Amino acid sequence: MVEPDKTSYRPVRAIGLLLILEVIGLAGLGIYQFSQVDWRQIDIDEPSQQAIEAASFVFFAPPAVLTLLSALSFLLLRRRGWLLAAIAQGLSVAVCLWLYSEFQPGYVYPVMAYCVLMILYLNSQDVRMVFHPRRNAAKQSPGGVV
Amino acid sequence: MKAERPDAEAAAALLRRFEPVIRSTKGDKFYPMDVEPYVRACSLWVQRPGEEAVRVVPSGKLSLEGLAQQPLDEAGAVHFLKFTDPQDAKPASRLARLNVFRRRAARGLKESRRAFRAGTGRLARVGYISRFVDALYSITLLARGRVPGESAAAASVAYERIMAEHEHYRYHGRVVRQDGWVVLQYWLFYPFNDWRSGFFGANDHEADWEKIFVYLSESEATGEVRPEWVAYAAHNYTGDNLRRRWDDPEVEKVGEHPVIYVGAGSHASYYAPGEYLTELDLPLPRPLARTAGALRGFWREKLGQYAGDLDGSSGYFHIPFVDYARGDGRTVGPGGDREWDPPRLMLDPPPDWVSGYRGMWGLYARDPFEGEDAPAGPMYNRDKSVGRPWYDPVGWAGLDKVPPPDEALETVLQGHADITARCDALRAAIDDKSRQLKKLGVEVAAMRERSHLDAPYEERTRRVAELSREIDQLRARLATDEAVSESLEEYAGRLRAGERDPARAHILRAHQPASEAELRVSRVAEAWAAVSVSLMLISFVGIAMFEREHLISMLVFSIALFAFVEAGFRGRLVNLVSSANIGLAVVATLVIIYEFFWQMVVAAVLIVGLYVLWDNLRELRR
Repeated sequence: MVEPDKTSYRPVRAIGLLLILEVIGLAGLGIYQFSQVDWRQIDIDEPSQQAIEAASFVFFAPPAVLTLLSALSFLLLRRRGWLLAAIAQGLSVAVCLWLYSEFQPGYVYPVMAYCVLMILYLNSQDVRMVFHPRRNAAKQSPGGVV
Repeated sequence: MKAERPDAEAAAALLRRFEPVIRSTKGDKFYPMDVEPYVRACSLWVQRPGEEAVRVVPSGKLSLEGLAQQPLDEAGAVHFLKFTDPQDAKPASRLARLNVFRRRAARGLKESRRAFRAGTGRLARVGYISRFVDALYSITLLARGRVPGESAAAASVAYERIMAEHEHYRYHGRVVRQDGWVVLQYWLFYPFNDWRSGFFGANDHEADWEKIFVYLSESEATGEVRPEWVAYAAHNYTGDNLRRRWDDPEVEKVGEHPVIYVGAGSHASYYAPGEYLTELDLPLPRPLARTAGALRGFWREKLGQYAGDLDGSSGYFHIPFVDYARGDGRTVGPGGDREWDPPRLMLDPPPDWVSGYRGMWGLYARDPFEGEDAPAGPMYNRDKSVGRPWYDPVGWAGLDKVPPPDEALETVLQGHADITARCDALRAAIDDKSRQLKKLGVEVAAMRERSHLDAPYEERTRRVAELSREIDQLRARLATDEAVSESLEEYAGRLRAGERDPARAHILRAHQPASEAELRVSRVAEAWAAVSVSLMLISFVGIAMFEREHLISMLVFSIALFAFVEAGFRGRLVNLVSSANIGLAVVATLVIIYEFFWQMVVAAVLIVGLYVLWDNLRELRR
């Protein structure tokens, strides 16, 4: 497997750190949300809005795990981390949008904003060049067919 | 070969010396033939605007001489030949003939299918949208004018009949001088193009004119000719990419004869054997293309985002076709399965059948895309204008900017002399203007702070600025010209030393056959490519009928599923993920803007205020 060359380590490590920051943020937000609810007082048949919002935070667990894995890949300088990170960010935004459409919990906005910035950074030309060096696209020349 | 117009004997000898070897693909039914028996087998028709086509000359009565005399010509009239004409059969024998014809056509079809195997389908090599557009294109064939389904088989039977009478393989040759080059034109005439019906291609049409040009340089001293370049016609391509230098390893040769790999059915000519993916670009409507281009520019330039491999020059939708130029079929030419018959010459002034007949050489199908209409003759385009390969064979292959080798050094030295003279003139002009500028500068300095000279001071100051700008431009031009002059000098030195440019330096995008890796698509991928578009449409109908409650979510889910499977087969998971992410990011951004618009405005104003404060305080501290 070809690794990024030494000159390109910086953005790779930067993305790794940003992703770890995201995982820490998600974990912190999740713990805060859960701690705000008195789970012993929960009415199973009619749970409070706050309880629903806190419980729905579990949907962020899979993207958070993927984000952590991709962050570790980045820190170990593996190119495959990019795809993992992109899938994780896409999943996070999808979960945010779904939660927004159903319950509109307040925490989705910062998560959404952070993920949008991460998606843009992952898709920026500098980063894409490091992880996906331009393939020789030998496209056929265009022309009419007669 | 010193004569401006070579005589027939010299021209024929020259043509025969470099005549091509054509290697066809197994399953191909038509080979280059003489136009005379073809025309004899055709009927001549005229289509006047708003009227039914009228037969002017029945088949069997037409000759090459008669072809040039076009009766009933008027504005908008289209003359065309018909190679396969059902009206030719006598009423009494029509049924019997039809039965014989059907039997022979079915036999021919079976033989073709036995001989030709398409291999990995064209659809497996391109994306989903292209396959969808391809399906639409196929549907439009039902509405467009097109060559009838049985025409290919009928043409095959007619061609076999001609060959049974007199088997021959002939090209039509022309020798022409242009810009110091001697151009040998080999015009190959095929009675039918069965690319669509025989080889899954774009179109069928009666008659097919293809061309191979060999460009010779001629020694001033001895009159000896030497092959320098070749150009093979493929579809409508023109320019540098068509052309190869004679010593290019891609140009295969048998002795002095260039080898051409002919596309099955399409008869497009290629330098190397293989399967060529040819894409028909379908451009977006202009306003849409402009908007898409602007968005793309903003995305890439302003946001610094990756925007894929598309350069925007070609269309967004492509219909894929494969040209099978395998070279495993019959070989015609020196050392091949069949030898060429003596060529039919088309020397200047061109014979009447070339210059006098401006109509189409086969059925006029009235196809708005023209793909199913027969071509005009070697000299003309379908709109009756003279074709570029005829009047400018050198420019057609992009050779008009290349001097013949004997003239190259002289041309370079001439260019160098011109630039040197221009540099001298520029230096003189700069000296003159510099003197003027200095005088003006002194005057301006002398007039400074003299209130009674304010007006002339301002006027001279303006002139100083103008002159200074002018001198700057002249110096820039001089610097460029000096650099060009230097490189010309160096280039002349290389030419004197007998060095040549790299053989493929002029080629921007060579038409390459599909690689082994590209052809190694699994049967599952091929099957998926064949059924996926229909399957998706059927699943949409199923969802609309049985899952109306969850219509949107089910549609999104099914599209995502198809896209994921497709991306997996095509190894484009990265592209799919980044496209999906961008879509989600756009929606999320819109949600955030919708929810926090005023807060964002306030924050932006605050940030600007704080920045200005910080900047001013920093200045104060200095």
